[in-house]
Amino acid sequence: MGNVYANSYLIVFVFLCIGVLLPVGALTLGKLLRPHVPSEAKQTTYESGNNPFHDSRVQFQVRYYMFALLFVIFDVETVFLYPWAVAYNKLGLFALIEMLIFVLMLVLGLIYAWKKKVLQWM
Amino acid sequence: MSMHTLLQYKWSMMTPEFIVLITALILSLADLWMPNDKNRRPLAWIAVVGVVIALIATAGLIPAKPVSILYDTFRIDSFSKAFKLLVLAGGALCLLLALDYRPKEGLSHRGEFYYLLLCALLGAMIMASSGDLITLFVGLELLSVSSYILAGIRKTSAQSNESALKYVISGGIATAITLFGMSYIFGLTGTTNLKEMAFEVQKLADSNYQYLLALAFLLLLVGLSFKISSVPFHMWAPDVYQGAPTPVTAFLSVVSKTAGFVILLRLFITIFAAAPAHGKDPSSLLLSMQNYIAVLAGLTMIIGNTVALRQRSMKRLFAYSSIAHAGYLLVGFAAMSWVMIDSIWFYLLAYVLMNVGAFAIIQRLSDEADSDDMIHFAGLYQRNPLLAVSMGIFLLSLAGIPGTAGFIGKLNIFLGALMTEPGHYMLAAVMIATTVVSYVYYFGVFVQIFFRPADEAASVKLPVGLTVTVVLCAFGTLLFGIFPSLAYQVLAQFEHFGDFLQ
Repeated sequence: MGNVYANSYLIVFVFLCIGVLLPVGALTLGKLLRPHVPSEAKQTTYESGNNPFHDSRVQFQVRYYMFALLFVIFDVETVFLYPWAVAYNKLGLFALIEMLIFVLMLVLGLIYAWKKKVLQWM
Repeated sequence: MSMHTLLQYKWSMMTPEFIVLITALILSLADLWMPNDKNRRPLAWIAVVGVVIALIATAGLIPAKPVSILYDTFRIDSFSKAFKLLVLAGGALCLLLALDYRPKEGLSHRGEFYYLLLCALLGAMIMASSGDLITLFVGLELLSVSSYILAGIRKTSAQSNESALKYVISGGIATAITLFGMSYIFGLTGTTNLKEMAFEVQKLADSNYQYLLALAFLLLLVGLSFKISSVPFHMWAPDVYQGAPTPVTAFLSVVSKTAGFVILLRLFITIFAAAPAHGKDPSSLLLSMQNYIAVLAGLTMIIGNTVALRQRSMKRLFAYSSIAHAGYLLVGFAAMSWVMIDSIWFYLLAYVLMNVGAFAIIQRLSDEADSDDMIHFAGLYQRNPLLAVSMGIFLLSLAGIPGTAGFIGKLNIFLGALMTEPGHYMLAAVMIATTVVSYVYYFGVFVQIFFRPADEAASVKLPVGLTVTVVLCAFGTLLFGIFPSLAYQVLAQFEHFGDFLQ
């Protein structure tokens, strides 16, 4: 019994070693086996058979980021509200008060975002 | 949980936390509904008043018996009360600094500045009285995340941005290491409650568990050394201190460091002092790991004090000096005498006073020149003699000259290191030697203030918030230096923190 805890770490360590050795071994073996004939065409960017065009870097509107952040906040709120609603009868009044405090804090955050004009598409 | 159990809790014990929380909420709402062109500086007064009321409320709780509420996650014992007094006092002084913070380009998020400071303070308070790893961690993160934003609150300043980024990255790494260490003790004990943990670790006498516990101890020590800016996680301090707004620098060096020591003492004394050690002297794991702490303390003192010799920037100088002070405090911890918590508390009290006072003067002179080079201190004596004398008091206290609170603090820690059996002579010797080294850079500033000619003749006027801070700090530094018994009387009410584990 005494070593169960330490032994589970041994397994983690074995996995770590395999994880490091496998790619290193496979890539080295591949390098030894494959022929080495570089050419111009082989070094171009691979785009599913099409000829490459355009820059690979694409710009996104930074405003999406704000919306994504706000979405995540309310998504997390749902994640917390859902199990609470399911087990409402068992949890009772204390959980209700806790949930109200939680929602109140999020509403404050929403008001903050609103006042700082995050909700406007400028 | 029924309404009955809910009302059974002594919620009044959380009054200081509630006051700070409500002040922060009021400030954030007030800031949102104020017209954009309105000056936000009055909000700082509300914040200061809120923190002072919380301070009074905490002082009012001192006679109360130790209680723990919410299933032992929130403890009010004398330890938490004593250190909450310190973080609240430090927080109030930092808010006074923030009131008169005037960077050259102006501060566009002044409202946020004040209530984020309050949030960080709340985090430190929760850390001081948590009895559970989860609460402890939530408090730690509340403090850290607020400080990350505060360090970068000057959005257009490249230095401020750099400092915030460095702080986030090194803070993230430190948090990861702390959590990893916590996961080991959780794995070994199967609970996050500190009291239950202390009970569970007593059973872990197997030597295999000893290694895991020692590993957890070292990971926690390394991870938490970030908050107290000691070796091996001290490298962030100079860059972050220099780039962050001066009130935030003061906050990081005082409140954040105090909170770091609180969590360090709470975790290590509760959990590892109860764990049995393997070896010929089977007292406790904490005692068997004493040497590691001692080595880190020694390194912190040596690195902090020697690198400080080369600094020209005042904020970098004080960053290294704050690393050195973390080292002195760690000596108190490494010695593990019976006056350990008392001497650390007194030293932190002296440190709050002398450091915030010095930062108030640094802030005034560096805001004016938009640079924190030591040269701006030249001839301060001719420009404002009273200010120069107060800065002199803070420097003497930081250096540990008799007659100041810094001296008494150092003396307590020094005696604590020699009091134990066997005494820590080596550590005490390093402490003395590095203190002597520290005279060189403290007196370097001294020479600038009193003996160098001033660049400009205009006298230095101090705004009201800074004046209050400097007067309070200088008065406190001298008072506790000449009559340390006043602070001992406060300490006596905590009775050597005997209810720590109850």
